[in-house]
Amino acid sequence: MAAPDELFCWEGAWGLPSVSSDCLTVLAYAQFAGAPLKLRKISNPWRSPSGSLPALRTNQNETLSRPSDIIIHLRKQKFNADFDLSAKEGADSLAFISLLEERLRPALIYNSWVDSKNYVEVTRRWYAEHLPFPLNFLLPGRMQRQQLETLRLLRGDPHLEGGEELEKELYREAAECMDLLSQRLGAHKFFFGDSPSSLDAYVFAYLAPVLKAKLPNGKLQQHLKSLDNLSSFCSNILLLYFPQDTRESGGQKSSSPPQPEGGDFDHVPNKRRKQLMSALVALGAMLSYALLTGILSIQQLQQEALEAPPDLQTLGSRDEDEEGDG
Amino acid sequence: MGTVHARSLDPLPMRGPELGVQPDDIEAPEIEHEPKQEVLENKNVVVQQVHIDGLGRTKEDLLTYEIKEVFRAKNLIDVMRKSHEARQKLLRLGIFRKVEVVIDTSRGEGALPNGLDVTFEVTELRRMTGSYNTMVGNNEGSMVLGLKLPNVLGRAEKMTFQFSYGTKETSYGLSFFKPQPGNFERNITLNMYKVTGQFPWSSLRETDRGISGELSFPLWKTSQTLKWEGVWRELGCLARTASFAVREESGHSLKSSLSHSMVIDTRNSSILPRKGGLLKIHQELAGYTGGDASFLKEDFEIQLNKTLFWDSVLSTSLWGGLLLPIGDKPTSIADRFYLGGPTSIRGFSMYSLGPQSEGDYLGGEGYWAGGVHLYTPLPFRPGKGGFGDLFRTHFFLNAGNLCNLNYGEGPKAHLKKLAECIRWSYGIGLVLRLGNIARLELNYCIPMGVQSGDRICDGFQFGAGIRFL
Amino acid sequence: MSLAAEAFVSQMAAAEPWPESATLYQPLKEDQILLSDCASSLAVQAYLRMCGLPVQVVCKSNAEYMSPSGKIPFIHVGNQVVSELGPIVQFTKAKGNSLSDGLDDVQRAEMKAYMELVNNMLLTAELYIQWCDDATAAEISRPRYSSPYSWPLSNILAYQKQWEVRRKMNAIGWGGKTLEQVYEDVTQCCQALSQRLGTQPFFFNKQPTELDALVFGHLFTILTTRLTSTELAERIKSYSNLLSFCRRIEQTYFEDKSS
Repeated sequence: MAAPDELFCWEGAWGLPSVSSDCLTVLAYAQFAGAPLKLRKISNPWRSPSGSLPALRTNQNETLSRPSDIIIHLRKQKFNADFDLSAKEGADSLAFISLLEERLRPALIYNSWVDSKNYVEVTRRWYAEHLPFPLNFLLPGRMQRQQLETLRLLRGDPHLEGGEELEKELYREAAECMDLLSQRLGAHKFFFGDSPSSLDAYVFAYLAPVLKAKLPNGKLQQHLKSLDNLSSFCSNILLLYFPQDTRESGGQKSSSPPQPEGGDFDHVPNKRRKQLMSALVALGAMLSYALLTGILSIQQLQQEALEAPPDLQTLGSRDEDEEGDG
Repeated sequence: MGTVHARSLDPLPMRGPELGVQPDDIEAPEIEHEPKQEVLENKNVVVQQVHIDGLGRTKEDLLTYEIKEVFRAKNLIDVMRKSHEARQKLLRLGIFRKVEVVIDTSRGEGALPNGLDVTFEVTELRRMTGSYNTMVGNNEGSMVLGLKLPNVLGRAEKMTFQFSYGTKETSYGLSFFKPQPGNFERNITLNMYKVTGQFPWSSLRETDRGISGELSFPLWKTSQTLKWEGVWRELGCLARTASFAVREESGHSLKSSLSHSMVIDTRNSSILPRKGGLLKIHQELAGYTGGDASFLKEDFEIQLNKTLFWDSVLSTSLWGGLLLPIGDKPTSIADRFYLGGPTSIRGFSMYSLGPQSEGDYLGGEGYWAGGVHLYTPLPFRPGKGGFGDLFRTHFFLNAGNLCNLNYGEGPKAHLKKLAECIRWSYGIGLVLRLGNIARLELNYCIPMGVQSGDRICDGFQFGAGIRFL
Repeated sequence: MSLAAEAFVSQMAAAEPWPESATLYQPLKEDQILLSDCASSLAVQAYLRMCGLPVQVVCKSNAEYMSPSGKIPFIHVGNQVVSELGPIVQFTKAKGNSLSDGLDDVQRAEMKAYMELVNNMLLTAELYIQWCDDATAAEISRPRYSSPYSWPLSNILAYQKQWEVRRKMNAIGWGGKTLEQVYEDVTQCCQALSQRLGTQPFFFNKQPTELDALVFGHLFTILTTRLTSTELAERIKSYSNLLSFCRRIEQTYFEDKSS
């Protein structure tokens, strides 16, 4: 068998296998379909072969970065989570995926990138801590501008600014979308039958970050938590398909302790220094741990095979490979 | 500039009056006839040489036009007067920071016994100057960052870039000004600008991007300006609640217009004049050089001032204008006239009278406005000869009307329409002169002839601006 | 539409009945309107006809800029201005006219999902073909879009619009798609719609809903509009139930008025 495809994803946090919805989609789908991917969780988009995350490098050395393209590629490799769906169910999942993209995506962008408090206290902090040294000063701001631009283009309003009115509007749409999903899901475990399909992957990927991220402005989270079936749908998938990340979440938290008073604009220079310090401390701790135990090297920490449920298949090969050739 | 027309987004004043030295300010001092000079007056002298010291990048040929009169002087008083005039001319070029005149007897070879040498010691302005201003326009303030390159090619050409960040608008402009050597009043100006304005009385937002070329020249006692302007105008609603009439005007249009204006100004000062008159006629023809908008616009302004007893001044002014659409298209909200507010008919809110729809004023195609003012010094004249002279009290009576005209009816019907429902107001107030470009007013107004739909400002009204009725 | 404005709208709307003078604004029908705008406008017209609400269609060259959201079409009812199908549906609902009251929760969820499918795939594909396919943009979209303006404004506005749409395509990940992939997406979308429709007269039982209006608006416009290539229409023509669906709605709601 040919070498497995390589998947580059953002690192995880808050008990999620990845912080980005697009990465989560691909990860969840690969898990549902049982695709053997060599997973590279990285925190530097510049090391991805396409310059963005997620990215799939196929064994023909093609690079795919749109989640839907990756899913189509996996399907062609006979890893099809939608195999059991009827034609009508296939149509329904296409429709609901569109619903997610049109209604939920703008609210998610707003929630983590445009809402200033959420952005400064959680999103920027997370990226500043996880990106490597010079990038952690440059990329978060750039990513935020890109996301705001995306939101403007999605809404078709070039002068759009974050604010109460926009927030209300986006959150109302998102809440309506969640309600519709909740009604469609009903008391079922998955959207179609007993096994998860691509729609489940999308719904999980869009909702899990809302459920798990600890954002100061948690209106979306509150609404999601009030929909019992949807929130347990997300936790179930996490438990069933990503048991390792759920366990790791306890350890992850200590690297980003919640600071209640942070995020004041006056303290930005100090904050930067603190971020740098904490990143250095974390790096030092990791290094010394690796050296003390003598088993781990930094390379191996960053490379980690997708741990599939044991009964599904064998893991991807763990051979050494060169880094950053993209 | 359109008359009552704050709406016309004028490019930033590129070469207009500045808060610096003003030709108006320097009222040509009468040469003092002291007893000593009395003797010299009749003595014939010959100006043999004129030097200009301190020239850097300025080309000399430009200056010879300005100083040539000095050679014609026949006696010492004449030399002094002509030198003084030459100095004023040099300063007016806007390329020197300082000009000093030294008159001395001729020395060296070929010096005549009654020969004189005149030396102008000049200090050039820096190659590039930056400025930071706060500008006061018609009821709005803005911060202006400017970059000026005076004398950029050595013949008093001026290049200006301005960026203004205002309470209501953000704009920029680039302009190039070139006078004809020896004839400063004959000049050309090229402009390129973007101006954004918000007009809450019409719930309208307007962004103009344009280029214009302007030729100014004096003709007899008048100063004439010919101008071509191409503007891309973008109109939009200021708020979702804007009336549908304003909504219908939204969108893009292109205006290409030729305009001509003529000014005769014999006033001693443009703000609070004591004597003299002003006649301004402006006409604009749009549509024949391309663009979507086609109209003919005419407007005029007359002002007469006369000093009466006890330093009080009687000032009367009359404004009027007509806008005729050409073709089937109705006129645009951006081209129509607006009236009302502390700078025109006092006692009404800013541009808030005349045709309106759901509370948004749409402007009119014809208007007139007249005013009579009696300016007096402050009672008991506190601060005389100093600060107190910046203030005046005034009694005023304003009247005017603004309406749309149906052009099928003929001129008689137009006049009748403009004579119906006249808005007028009277009151008393305090005027403060700010430099030589703007003035502030605080008035107590009593509006009369109010029509339903007009927004009035009964009682105290504050106004700041450049042009006043 | 903003929330505050919407609350206001629904309050006002509930109070007044639907006036006879309601107008729908769209760009000039002969010279200016583009496929995507025409489809959206037809969808709204179909919806209002299904509700039995009279509306007068007015063509204005600056309709796009008159619209409060910058999108086509919008309706002017009383002193209210509402744009796009979604808000218009809510607006009529506040006035007591609704087509989807008979649906249960799951059906309503599905209806909304399919409406988003049409917006997400069909509308985006129309925009892509109009502005990102160079031949269509040069021969049809730019000349038509800029027809009411004089040079050089016409060029500026057309390229500005094209640039804006292309940036949107990049933002939603369609920037890298080829024309063939877009046609493939259209096929996928039609396949889904055809599956959902099956042999029923309308998407949900025997009564039309806003979904039927939206699907009709897009499919009928694609079928009847001449583009540089007939590929788009061909893709739809292979689904016979969608074709007869379009014909049915056209006959029921549009032809009786003209005859």
